[in-house]
Amino acid sequence: MLEDVLQLIVNGVMAGSVLAVPAIGFTAIYAVLRFPNFAVASHATIGAFAGFVANVYLGLPAPMALCFAFLVAGVFGVASDEVALRPLRNSGPLTAAIASVALTIVLENVIRFTFGNDLRGYDLPVYRDWRMLGLRIGPQQVYNAAVAVIVMAVLFGFLAFTRTGKTMRAVADNPTLAGIKGIDAVKVARLANFIGMGLAGMGGMLIGLDTSIDPLTGFRVILSVFAAAVVGGLGSLPGAVAGSFVVGIGEELSLLVLDPAYRGAVGFVAILLVLSFRPRGLLGERAY
Amino acid sequence: MTLTRRAALAAGLATPFVARAQGDPIRLGTLTPLTGAGGPYGPSMVKSMQAVAEAVNSAGGVLGRRIQLVGEDSQTNPDAAVRAARKLIDVDKVPSICGTWASAVTTAVAPLCWENRTMLFTVSGADSITQLPHQGYIIRTQPNTRLQNTRVGKFMVAQGVKKLFVLGAQTPFAVPGYQVLHEVLTANGSSTVGHVIYDKDKANFRSEVDQALRTRPDMIFLNGYTPDVTIIMRELFRAGFDGKRMAPEYAINVKLLESLPADVTEGALNYAPSPDLNSPAYKAVSAILGTGTPDTYSCQTYDQMSLAILAIAKAGTVSGTAIHGAVRKVSQGSGEKVTSAVDGLKLLAAGKEINYEGASGPCDFLDSGDIIDCKFRFDIAEKAKFRTLELS
Repeated sequence: MLEDVLQLIVNGVMAGSVLAVPAIGFTAIYAVLRFPNFAVASHATIGAFAGFVANVYLGLPAPMALCFAFLVAGVFGVASDEVALRPLRNSGPLTAAIASVALTIVLENVIRFTFGNDLRGYDLPVYRDWRMLGLRIGPQQVYNAAVAVIVMAVLFGFLAFTRTGKTMRAVADNPTLAGIKGIDAVKVARLANFIGMGLAGMGGMLIGLDTSIDPLTGFRVILSVFAAAVVGGLGSLPGAVAGSFVVGIGEELSLLVLDPAYRGAVGFVAILLVLSFRPRGLLGERAY
Repeated sequence: MTLTRRAALAAGLATPFVARAQGDPIRLGTLTPLTGAGGPYGPSMVKSMQAVAEAVNSAGGVLGRRIQLVGEDSQTNPDAAVRAARKLIDVDKVPSICGTWASAVTTAVAPLCWENRTMLFTVSGADSITQLPHQGYIIRTQPNTRLQNTRVGKFMVAQGVKKLFVLGAQTPFAVPGYQVLHEVLTANGSSTVGHVIYDKDKANFRSEVDQALRTRPDMIFLNGYTPDVTIIMRELFRAGFDGKRMAPEYAINVKLLESLPADVTEGALNYAPSPDLNSPAYKAVSAILGTGTPDTYSCQTYDQMSLAILAIAKAGTVSGTAIHGAVRKVSQGSGEKVTSAVDGLKLLAAGKEINYEGASGPCDFLDSGDIIDCKFRFDIAEKAKFRTLELS
């Protein structure tokens, strides 16, 4: 029994670490632009396909392909925001959020039109799991977790120590004051979109490395990503990481008492509990 | 313009009999998945039905009339399919609709059909479809869940499976499928050691796989669809599972073999209802579609269209009720065996009884609308290619 619980926790940590990357992207955009951008789903898919092109067609190894996924999804993120969402942002966060749902459907179908509906897999070997102390740990998932940790560290470093990072935090904390100080909110919004959607794209590829990809890759995880961001505190980057682990581990541990068919409900139960007792999420809404 | 009514009449009388017979067409409906999840199959399903109609028309039509197909796209979506079926029934007034593919689509359009006395020919498999109160207005050429899983269970026993675990996606056939496998295996000295029904939209199934492996099965049956089965196949490989893995052909297919490394799929088994490969009707479908291996659904719609036309000829009138009453008189019994609508029409015109045996199999139906038997093909994946193990 103890072994089962430990294995479930290990599985949850693995699942949570993959969720964390797109969840950071989602919450970073929320922190600066103050609306939930559900187009993270299609950008995760765009990243997964960009990584696929880089890996399979261009023959790049996985780390390079991940960088490519980040860049392509980031560029798409800025471009689609300029065209579709920015003109609507003045009408309020709800309008922008609904438009982002529409945008994600459009982009998903663009991918479907370009690549077709078929499943695709990366040109990478599948490794057998390690076994230690009766637990099963996957090398691919450890790799994914390591990438997630590195990405988080780089992002925190960027926000803490660089001038651009500080301007982003300033806009997230108080946009009006930041404006008075001469920070260009439009530039910061573009940067937030680039980083946020780039991370979503990277997350999409990490998910694809572990599974396989199709035009619905991002859509399948968006609810868990949203749940992770809300549980951790919308707008808080450490919160998104904490939320991802809570949702990931929670979904796995629920299998002790629930049928796997109901696992998808765990994210919603987590949102419900957190919003009832801690409306600002586990770590509040401060960006950093 | 100097064309007078008399001249037109003379021109009409001068045309050969066959052409005049084709003046007032019999409209028959097709409702196929041209887009959506069934999109890969829909176009060829329509093509095989059109070929039947063209062959019949060039042989003089039915009851002195041409056959005209009226085609609609189900979009593999129950809402769209209901709108399309309404149009076929209310506007085109078709006596029959052939080719519904997804079980959800068939379930949605079936009540419209039986209430309007329109015959529905389907390729859907869920047991629940023929359990609807359809009053005989549904015929299906696809084996139902019970028939499929009975055959699959027997194959597993023959493969020496002693402890089977079933990982099933949450679908209408997940629990019934498991129950049938359990019955068949326990009746033949094997056993099932458990089953898990999972949410197929999740991105990881590690814990489900752990749950399966704890029971130490020698075979895991993956009763899902390609996206989820791909992830589970990968997970089973990582976990070092060295037992057998089996799934329906719509889950473990060429696409799955392409998206996973060959060592992950090595030895995976699949099954599919198989057309009757030795039948002249199968060879006809093969020629129509220009492929050596036409899919089972296109073979089934070829048979459905043939049966609808033959039933109209047998009944002597064009209506859903007429097809309903006559279809089993041409599909089974002691009549002369025929494998095409054209041959059947000739014999019927000569006053003989017929028994249609088609591309998909014998096409004999129970009162419920289910087929009595059909062939199954079992394949194994070897070096990322399929090899047929058994066809029976």
